[in-house]
Amino acid sequence: MELQSKIAYISVFTAASISIFVVESYIPQPIPGIRLGLANIFILLTIIYFGFKEGFLVGILKSFMGSLLLGRLLSPSFLFSISGTIMSVIIMWLAIKFGKHISLLGISIIGAEIHTITQILLATILFFPEASFIYLLPIYVLSALVAGSITGTISYLLFTKLERKIEIA
Amino acid sequence: MFQLRSSGRYRPIKIGDIAIIIFFLSSLFFLPKVPGEKVEIRVDNSKEFIYPLSKDRTLDIKGAIGTTRIVIKDGRVKVTKAPCPLKLCKKVGWISKKGEQIICIPNKVYIRIEGEEYDGVTE
Repeated sequence: MELQSKIAYISVFTAASISIFVVESYIPQPIPGIRLGLANIFILLTIIYFGFKEGFLVGILKSFMGSLLLGRLLSPSFLFSISGTIMSVIIMWLAIKFGKHISLLGISIIGAEIHTITQILLATILFFPEASFIYLLPIYVLSALVAGSITGTISYLLFTKLERKIEIA
Repeated sequence: MFQLRSSGRYRPIKIGDIAIIIFFLSSLFFLPKVPGEKVEIRVDNSKEFIYPLSKDRTLDIKGAIGTTRIVIKDGRVKVTKAPCPLKLCKKVGWISKKGEQIICIPNKVYIRIEGEEYDGVTE
């Protein structure tokens, strides 16, 4: 692929994930921290199409720019967002590289789970050492399973549609 | 033309996915159980008694066909005497966690543990 079109695709994916991240943050959350994580779709697609470095870049930019637009830069929620994103990008890349029997659905679920677990561990260690976040971990794990399945299915549908388009380009 | 790094991921679901789903579903067994605080006893859907679990006591509740003896001890609840033929309510044994219940259908006695909502979530 030519460099220009690669840059174009990565920019589009970054823009899409940032806008989804911002829009999604306006949806009310029943329990703090439970959301769909639709922005992960584009991070996952970037890792699959282009590789780890590019996916990492999109993830960092998503957290950074999204928090900047929402006015939460350098606040605890930004810290949670960026650490969860970094961990999930690393894990998803490992799953893509070494998981021969895992499809997009499984990769997305792993990413969502790692994102959530990282955030809860961080919240427990940094802010509320005595609070019962660990106690609530199963609830978050289950909700991340549901969210990961939904984003995984969407990524799969998007992937099969996009593949032909990108090959033609 | 360029080569995508994505060959072979066309199938929507593979064996590894199922393993991952089952692995994370197993957290169902670790769902937090909130300790109960009160026991709510309802008779014939009309009379309602609420007792704290902290105090030990023995209750004789008059139901539709007889007397059900309910024992509250060490924060747990148990039915020790029941007039019903199957004695299902006795077989349930001790209950102590929020949401657990003992139901005696012939005698129309309904026992349920009440507790607080999850805390720490609502900040």
